[in-house]
Amino acid sequence: MDMSLFLVQLLNGVQYGLLLFLIASGLTLVFGVMGILNLAHGSMYMIGAYLVYYFASATDSFLLAVIIACVIAMIIGIIIERFLIIHLYNRDHLDQVLLTVGLIFIFNAAQSFIWGNDPLGVEVPELLSSSIQLTDIVEYPVYRLFLSVLCIGIALAMYYVINNTKLGMMIRAGESNREMVENLGVDISKLFTIVFAVGVTLSALAGIVSAPIVSLVPGMGERVLISCFVVVVIGGMGSIKGAFVAALLVGIVDTFASVLLPGMSSMTIYLLMALILIFKPQGLFKS
Amino acid sequence: MSECVLQAENLSKHWGGLKALHEFNIKFYDKSLHSIVGPNGAGKSTLLNILCGTYPATKGVILYKGNNVTGLKSYQFCRKGIGRSFQKTNIFKASTCLENCCIAAQQRVGGSFNLFKSRQSSQFIKQIASDALAQVGLSGRADTVASAISYGEQRQLEIAMVLATDPQVLLLDEPMAGMGHEESLTIIELLKQLKQRYCIVLVEHDMDAVFELSDLMTVMVDGQHLITDVVDNIRANPLVQEAYLGNDDEVF
Amino acid sequence: MSVFSTKAEKVFILAFFFIALGVPLFFNENTFYVNKISTMLILSIFVMSLDYLVGKTGLISLGHAMFYGLGGYLFAIMVPEYEEVNFWIYTFYVMAASSVIALIVGLIVLRTSGIYMIMITLALAQMTFYFFADSTEYGGLDGLFIYLKPETSIFGLNFLDLDNETHFYYLCLLSLFNCYVFFKITLQSRFGRVIDAVKENPERATALGYNIFHFRLVAYVLSSSLAAYAGYLFSLQYGFVNPTMMSWEVSASALVMAILGGLGTVFGAILGVFVYESLHYGIEHMTQYWMFWMGSLIIVMVLTLKSGIAGLVEKLVTGKRK
Repeated sequence: MDMSLFLVQLLNGVQYGLLLFLIASGLTLVFGVMGILNLAHGSMYMIGAYLVYYFASATDSFLLAVIIACVIAMIIGIIIERFLIIHLYNRDHLDQVLLTVGLIFIFNAAQSFIWGNDPLGVEVPELLSSSIQLTDIVEYPVYRLFLSVLCIGIALAMYYVINNTKLGMMIRAGESNREMVENLGVDISKLFTIVFAVGVTLSALAGIVSAPIVSLVPGMGERVLISCFVVVVIGGMGSIKGAFVAALLVGIVDTFASVLLPGMSSMTIYLLMALILIFKPQGLFKS
Repeated sequence: MSECVLQAENLSKHWGGLKALHEFNIKFYDKSLHSIVGPNGAGKSTLLNILCGTYPATKGVILYKGNNVTGLKSYQFCRKGIGRSFQKTNIFKASTCLENCCIAAQQRVGGSFNLFKSRQSSQFIKQIASDALAQVGLSGRADTVASAISYGEQRQLEIAMVLATDPQVLLLDEPMAGMGHEESLTIIELLKQLKQRYCIVLVEHDMDAVFELSDLMTVMVDGQHLITDVVDNIRANPLVQEAYLGNDDEVF
Repeated sequence: MSVFSTKAEKVFILAFFFIALGVPLFFNENTFYVNKISTMLILSIFVMSLDYLVGKTGLISLGHAMFYGLGGYLFAIMVPEYEEVNFWIYTFYVMAASSVIALIVGLIVLRTSGIYMIMITLALAQMTFYFFADSTEYGGLDGLFIYLKPETSIFGLNFLDLDNETHFYYLCLLSLFNCYVFFKITLQSRFGRVIDAVKENPERATALGYNIFHFRLVAYVLSSSLAAYAGYLFSLQYGFVNPTMMSWEVSASALVMAILGGLGTVFGAILGVFVYESLHYGIEHMTQYWMFWMGSLIIVMVLTLKSGIAGLVEKLVTGKRK
């Protein structure tokens, strides 16, 4: 592999990793604070992508579509938390699995009802549709760079919020000791609603911004969900820092595996996970 | 005095920077009751948990009948003959009292990987279990579901389960916690019986009970060994009184 | 002590096997229904094996379909092409091979528990899915075909013809019955006693001297090899295997069926399969968006029905004395 190709793959790997981080951070945040494993997390990724497809063609503005899709995703999150997830606190893991599997079924049916089963695509917004020249022959699309920058920006924002704001303080406290938070007099139900809505919106956002570089197909949510599990298992459930490191690791390994080991590329990250689990059953960064 | 069955040498447990147990030396003798007292947070439970393998020690050695057992898994401690009871009632609540003891007895009898032999078939297991229930005075409750008996009886059952594993050492973590006076008396009588046959290590807050039962007492403070002696000497020791002075909740 | 744990179980099991024996006579000419019900019997074995793991051992797996699929693949890979092999010998091969795989997977998966185990079982099942889906050697997404069904002679006696739908139906019924009896026996056994203890209170079981890891591992291998057996039967029925058999949807719906029937009741698995599959076919018949209604049903079930249909049956049988 020559240097420029290596660089392109590295950029792709980092970009994919950052996108995975966006999704995984939502999943791990919801688990860390609320103790809920949301299997329908990947469905929100899918819903985000389809929403932006719909509104981009309806409004002719990608930016506007992104905003509308985010708002809708957040509203869906609030509705799910208020009406369904709220019954799951203090129930066992199995009930969480079932209810969220039920949600996946509903989301998949909705997707197929509204948009059908044929693959769809979203155009890259004009402003970001150019490419930059890496070497004489190799160029790299600006949109992918933009994605990486955006994800890093969101990661930094999350870091700031968690470490410097009152909401962040509650989240950190919730991760270490849920009862303590309640004793502190925090309105726990409001905190849970916010965290859940933000969590699913992060996933939807990942779907929204990656819509122009992937094709929208049924089942895209589940694929992402499972990659996301690998990230969270490697990083340590409930640890956002762990999710960040693991997401980059998974993104880069997966990208290079598809170039270097074409026969078994889709297995590589699972092998990586199994390997890490043998030595660190609780993940790299147990919180 | 009878032979020493369990011994700890330079036992330490550090949780990060916190020294829950530091350079602890102690010997426990057969057929006697040795209680461990000290203010809250002195490391009594930590000591007990290390002695039965729940956590590994950071440093130090545990000797059981002269053999080094440090680093064994917690289930192996029970098999060697070091049984424990828990501070919070820890029984199989959905099963009958007899079944609770049968689970314990079967471990000692073996055949637990037998997929086809009915669990009811062994009279031997049932016999051990009934004997254990009889020892703690719960024979009348054999067929009652464990969640339906009183709290005091659950504590007795807890001890019966340990007995059914045929231990030589009993590590009892506050067997009288949360009990009324009457119930405590039952346990005290029980322990008086048991200490004639087993080496008992008792962690307990009820000082009347401790003074009445103990052959030897150890006082520990801040994870360190303060003194080990017979009861009368402990009571008179100025160091001990000093150690307890800061704690209003526990006075001799 | 009675063979049956509850009155509902007794009524259900007796009625079920009695009716099931007569099904091929009832549908005399119509092999479509006999085949459909054969599939449900096979699925019942699979769901029962999952119930043993989740409901009895307390280990939640969201990747059990991995073994279901492996059962079919192991057979398709091991069997020499265009050669008629013996059913019983290959049953042994398939179960032995899947036990070995389950042992290795169990060694990894059982290092964790709870939410981790849910995610890891799912991830490993996906890994196996992609392994077969991406492989050219094993037919990719199309899978492998089984050209010749095995013959079933024992000591020269041949009384079962797997190409005959009715014969195959009775093989499935017999397998399900054996599977049920096997699980009932192991649950009553000394091993079952420890499994109960490990499920209810692992900490205490350890303190009593049991190495809970070993017991969980044995239960995992038992459950997985029976799941593989079910997958093997399925592949024989349809003459092919493909990766879809081990997709996450299969694992998830098996879990739904186990819970629908009443987790940890063993017989509930049969109940769950027949109710779920009937609903599935019924709704699918009416609308192509059956997933919407199934999803809604699952959610309503989680929020209202705590002990599954088995709990409802128990209430009906014992009367509403409350």
